[in-house]
Amino acid sequence: MSPEPPAQPDRKGNDRELRRGSLELAILHLLSSGEAYGYEIVSKLTARTNGALEITDGTLYPVLYRLERAGFVNVRWETPGRGVPRKYYDLTETGRAELARLTREWTMFAKAMTDLLRSEEEPT
Amino acid sequence: MTMTADDYVTNVLNAMPAATPRRAQIAAELRGHIAERLESGQPLETILRGLGAPAQLAASYLSEVPLASAPLGARAAAKLADVCLPVAMAIPIVLLGWLEWGNAFLPFGIAIMFGGGGLLFWIYTVVAEWQSGQTVGKRLFGMIVVREDGARISGGQAVVRQLPVLFQFFWIDVLFALFTERRQRAFELLSKTRVVVAPRPD
Repeated sequence: MSPEPPAQPDRKGNDRELRRGSLELAILHLLSSGEAYGYEIVSKLTARTNGALEITDGTLYPVLYRLERAGFVNVRWETPGRGVPRKYYDLTETGRAELARLTREWTMFAKAMTDLLRSEEEPT
Repeated sequence: MTMTADDYVTNVLNAMPAATPRRAQIAAELRGHIAERLESGQPLETILRGLGAPAQLAASYLSEVPLASAPLGARAAAKLADVCLPVAMAIPIVLLGWLEWGNAFLPFGIAIMFGGGGLLFWIYTVVAEWQSGQTVGKRLFGMIVVREDGARISGGQAVVRQLPVLFQFFWIDVLFALFTERRQRAFELLSKTRVVVAPRPD
């Protein structure tokens, strides 16, 4: 009987966590300049990143749900003239602290990766 | 048949346990989002594709709610409460029968209590867990039955969970909960369900 292959790390899970983490940072950052509603957040994220960070609606809303449950955002409902209610999201103080933490982590990670890639490009 | 926006939202909600926090808000927000996209000129089919399959979207929401296995002591207490309730209801009936028809009623009354009452109790448990994820006992002790991913359980899963009670090997099945990581009984593992602490209400 051949031995079992070594266990592989859950790459799909890691990718999902990385995407989810970066999306959380992007949303908190976007909300730091003022409140916004779901559709507006998707549009702004797509526009400000020239489409590089195009997220599906099905990905955005569960993340907003988590941010709300974690107390990082406040919500308020408003019904404009056309009668369909909109849910506006706004950063709380805890949300601002979380944004600062995530920004620090992301900057350190990005710098480390950039340094690594640059060092490998340079001839030894 | 084409799915309407309301059908879509209903399907998302149906895939979530009744105790999911902010269900009504999720529905209102999804309806608002679909209306917003429709106003911007997008076809409904494209909008719903962007949101993903209803069950998948529900699972994404539910993955944001951490699941904590219900403590075994609380589960035992909930089961006891569930059993006490029908027994408390049956005893006066048997007593009344005994007073009315005397000792001849007792074997008949006890058979009805354990056989018929037991079957009704089993059916009640299956229906309650299927419909709301909670029996009276589970509601009292703040726990809920869900799929392993947190979604609402199906009728088939509700039946499989309770087979050990029906076929009288409940105690062997329960022993598994002492040794499994998520405190699951053998038939909970089989039905891919678990009992978790009910999320805080809105």
